[in-house]
This record gives sequence, structure tokens and C-alpha cells, in this order.
Amino acid sequence: MKDLRYILKPESVVIVGVSKTAGKVGHIILQNYINDGYSGRIYLVNKNAEEILGMKSYRRVTDIKEKGIDLAVIAVPAEAVPQVLEDCGKAKVKSAVVVSGGFAEIGKTELQDQITSIAKKYGIAMIGPNCLGVMDPRSRVNTLFLPSYKLSKPEIGGISFVAQSGAVGSTVLDLMAGEGFGISKFISYGNAADIDEVDILEYLMDDEETKVIAIYIEGIKRGKEFIELAKKITKKKPVVVLKAGRTAAGATAAHSHTAALAGSYEAHEAVFRQFGFTIANDISELLYYSKIFASEGAPGGNRIAIITNGGGAGVLTTDAIASSRDMKIAELSEKTKTALRKVMPPLVNMRNPLDLAGDADDKRYGAALEYLDADSQVDIMVVIILFQTPGADSRLAAQVASMKEKTDKPMLVLSIGAEYTEMHKRMMERSGLPVYDSPRAVALSLEALYRYYQYRNRKA
Amino acid sequence: MLWDYFKAKGLLDRYGIKSIESRYVESKDDAVYFSEGKPIVMKLISERQLHKSKAGLVKLGLDDEKSIAKAYQELTSKGRNTRPYKIIAQKMAGSGVEAIIGGREDPQFGKLVLIGLGGIYVEAFKDFALRVCPIKEQDAMDMLDQLVSRDVVTYKGESRKMLSRLLINVSKLLNENQEIKELDLNPVILRKDGYDIVDIRVLQ
Repeated sequence: MKDLRYILKPESVVIVGVSKTAGKVGHIILQNYINDGYSGRIYLVNKNAEEILGMKSYRRVTDIKEKGIDLAVIAVPAEAVPQVLEDCGKAKVKSAVVVSGGFAEIGKTELQDQITSIAKKYGIAMIGPNCLGVMDPRSRVNTLFLPSYKLSKPEIGGISFVAQSGAVGSTVLDLMAGEGFGISKFISYGNAADIDEVDILEYLMDDEETKVIAIYIEGIKRGKEFIELAKKITKKKPVVVLKAGRTAAGATAAHSHTAALAGSYEAHEAVFRQFGFTIANDISELLYYSKIFASEGAPGGNRIAIITNGGGAGVLTTDAIASSRDMKIAELSEKTKTALRKVMPPLVNMRNPLDLAGDADDKRYGAALEYLDADSQVDIMVVIILFQTPGADSRLAAQVASMKEKTDKPMLVLSIGAEYTEMHKRMMERSGLPVYDSPRAVALSLEALYRYYQYRNRKA
Repeated sequence: MLWDYFKAKGLLDRYGIKSIESRYVESKDDAVYFSEGKPIVMKLISERQLHKSKAGLVKLGLDDEKSIAKAYQELTSKGRNTRPYKIIAQKMAGSGVEAIIGGREDPQFGKLVLIGLGGIYVEAFKDFALRVCPIKEQDAMDMLDQLVSRDVVTYKGESRKMLSRLLINVSKLLNENQEIKELDLNPVILRKDGYDIVDIRVLQ
């Protein structure tokens, strides 16, 4: 197994190819290190050894006095990478992120093979080439060459997001940060010349800071090793996977019906399904599932109670949930109904979905949630809050958030609306409540949660 | 390369996978003798033909000498365009739901096993479940549950167990015979109390 420790938690970093010109890749990387407050030692290398942002710069990595630097971030033109890696090897650099493009992705496989063999010769753990590299908000390592003002800055948390593609990687990272997800690691691994998805997942499997793994994959190189890893990883933590290439043309001249049906995408999907991965069909689903796994644990069962301050939204959500084969709308216990009847106004019908009416406020929601939490026939609670109604305000958001702290049951919120809703959505999410904006997103996420823990709790 | 039908049938037998009684016939009299007065099916087998029923190469419900003779004559005349070919006669399967069970070798993950709602609908509905070999009983049950048509393809209880055993045996066969690249058992006619494998294709 290749160790990613020096890449993600380096005590010293050398950035190779830093330009004096703002806006150039190497310069942005340096600026991000400074802006993010990285506390380790930073060295700069460029071929003219100019002073940059008041920092000394070296002509070559071998000129730096410190040997055995943990990480080299390499952002020089492709043809200069072999020499830089040789220098890193001689200076005993432990790991490298090769940001530069211009290798196998444009047909230059020989150049890529050359840098791979240099990395192997010196035992340098290498990510890339042709990648964004890594971000770790805890160690404040950030090799992304994207100007920081263009990308929302993620908070520290438990989701590690891995992407082969830098473009998908950075857009999803931006969305995750924007939605308030807490990030543990971001890793974009590009051409995977040395470190590939199997190495990365093996590392994250045992990484205590990572609670949930989300991964965007284009293709798996080492199928057999992947299967061996897959058997273990989902028994430890949830893995959400988005695989590209669903519509890729299969074998054009299949000789059997089986081969015509089951192409390469289907084979990948079969492996994911068999070993308990959560399959996302698009970027939205990747976000839904990452969110629910980050905040919710195993549900006690599949029976869902819905409370709402809008009848229609309750019905739509019931429809979405009931159309899943695995999920059930809970039958409220008689005890719950009796208790609710005493505290609810007469117009509230004692059924699930429980419509608290358009004037429902924090007190009514609070009472309903208390009884549903105590009901042993309810495993999961879905709270619909339409903030357009008169009773729904910040007190209600705070009430629901405080219930979240008390209950052991998975609990999520559905809120649909514009600015006023968005504001409350963010408030609730910061307190650890997963908030969704469509009945379909709620239904899919609950199904994913339930199925994952069903798989995980199976006897071996 | 397509395996000879009876070589494939023999391999299935060794894994406890029963397929319907069959014989190559070289004349109409051969076929009549094989039928023993009961209805039979005749098919043309050629490496160059995957979609037999679409191409009119399957003759069903042949229950007297006259219909057998006519079918034999039609198949031989069609066969001229798809040489080399053989004609196979089979006992008629009982009625039931048509499923497909198959497998193939994937360059990344190795042998895969598949079950789906079968027959002529298989490529239209794409209702199938796929797993990596070897599979355990739980995997086989998951495969059945994954089918949209699960209530159509499987009956409850005993039928699920029977299908699960069949899938496990196919997975074992695929895994232990590495030279096999593709396998189709299509259709497999499922009944409450058993199944009939009507067609076998093994590609090496």
C-alpha cells in the first residue's frame, strides 16, 4: 500500500515551478498555501531563483538544505517533470503531486511511464500527473491551482471526496462547500500513474478523520484488488460512488445476450452493488447521499413518519417514499395518537403524514416531534417545513435543530423555497440537520441510508 | 468460438444444471423417431446466428409427421446461408416465465453472472441483475430482489431457493472453467416446481 500520509499531512512542502506572475498555476498554489495558513515549512523552486512574495526561491530542489522534504508540488511543463522528479529523488523527497498535464491524456504515454519509473525508483508516492492534487482543511494543505476567491472554502468535517477528474472534482467541492458540508480530504488523482483509486480508498478506509467517502470514478485499473478492498471498506464506512460512462457503447459485436446486456459500466455497477457501495446516478445524488451519511447513523428500521405544515408537500413526500420498495410509511401507535389528540388543535388528523396545518409554530412541531421520537413504530422522522407559512420562523428552525440533538433516530428536513428558506436551511444545516429541497431527494437519501446499513449489518 | 451444443450440455450436467432433452437430427425421420409421438421443437444452430427466433430458425409445437417434415425442410433451406449449421430437435418445454441466466468474462473484474427477465424481451426491458463470481446465497437472493420483475420471474419460497441454487451453480461453473468467455442459458423456462433450460450457448 502506498502511504498518502506525507501528501496529506506534510511537515514540509516544496513548490516547484512557482512563477512571479500572479495568476500562473505555481503562483496560485503558493498563494493558497499562504492564504490557508499552512504552518509547515514552505520552499520554492523556480529556474531563475527569483524572490517571490518576499520568499527566497531555489534553482533546484537539490539546492535546498533540508533533505527528506515530505511533499513536492510540481507545476512545471510536462517535459521538465522527469528532471524535477530526479532531483526530488536525490533530495529524498517523500511524495509528489504532479499537477502538470501533457502526459497519457494527450497520448504521451512514454513520458508518463518515464516519470512513473522515476517515482518508483526513489520510492516517491506520486499523485497525478494531470490533476488538481489534494486539499486537507485540517493540515491546511491545498495544492489546487484554482484562485481561492472562485471556490467556496469548505469547513472541516468528515466527508472525503475523491475524483479522477479535476473539473468534476472542483465543481463538486465547490458545491459541497457552498452547502456547508464538512470536508476531511479532497483528492483529485488525474492520470493515476502511480497512486490510483485503490491506494486512495485503502488510505481513507483507515483514516479516522474520514467518516464518509464520496468518489467519482471514470475507470478502475486494478479490478481484482478493487474487489478485495471493496469487501472491507463498506464494512467500515459508507462509500458513495458516481461512475462515468453509463452510455458508453458496449461491445459492438457481442455474441451472446449476456455480453450485449452487461457491458463495462454494468460490470462496475455490479461490483459496487455487490459490496455495499451507494451508487449515485448524477452529481446531485452524490451530494444527497454524502449529506445523509455524514449526519445520520443506522436507522432502527424502515418505517418513516412525516410531519408537515403543508398538506400537498406531505402527500408528495409520501408518494416519493412509498414508491421505494424498501421504505414504509409508519403506522403511528395508538398511544402516540391519543397523546397528540390532547395537544393538537382539532383540525389536525391523527395520521401519517401528520399535517400540523399552515399555522403550525415551533411549539406544535416540538410537541409532535417529542411523541414521534417516543413512538416505537417510527424509525425515521421527516420534517417538512414550508417557511412561507405564518407560523414558520427562526424559532421553528431552532426548535427542530434542538430536537435533532435529543433524538437517536435519523431525522431530516425538507424545505422548499427561496431566500428566506435558504437562510433557515443554512442555520439548520450548521447544527447538523440534513436539509433537502425535494421529496425525491428525501426519498432517495433515506433509501440509500437504509440499504447501506442493511448491508453493513449483515453477518459475514 | 461457439461450443458444440452437447459439449455445453454435458458441462451443465456435471454442475447439476439440467437442460431439456435434445438430439441432433439429420433427417426428418430422425426427428420423427425422436419425437415419440409427442410435440417437439426444432432449431437451426449456427455460430453466425444469435437471434434464432427473430430469424425464423425456431419451429415450435411440431406434433405430427407432416409438421416435422415441413419444419425440417424449411430449416435446411435457411441453413444454406449460414453454413456450417446443425439442426437440433428438443422435447417441448412446459409453459412458464422465460428468464435468461448467463455469464461473461470481464477484463477488469473476472467472471460475472447474470439473471434477467428473458426471452425476446431481454434486450428491450434490460431488467437484469449482475454480480461478480463466485456468489453466495445472499448474493443470489439480492439478485432476484433487484429485478423489477422479481414477482414475475420468481415465485415465493421454494422457487426462490431453486433459482438461487441454479445461480450459484452457474457461478461455480463459470469460475471453474476459465476458458469460457460467454454463456447464455436463454430462455430458461421457470415453473413453480422446476425449470427447463431450452437453449445453451457457450463461447470460448
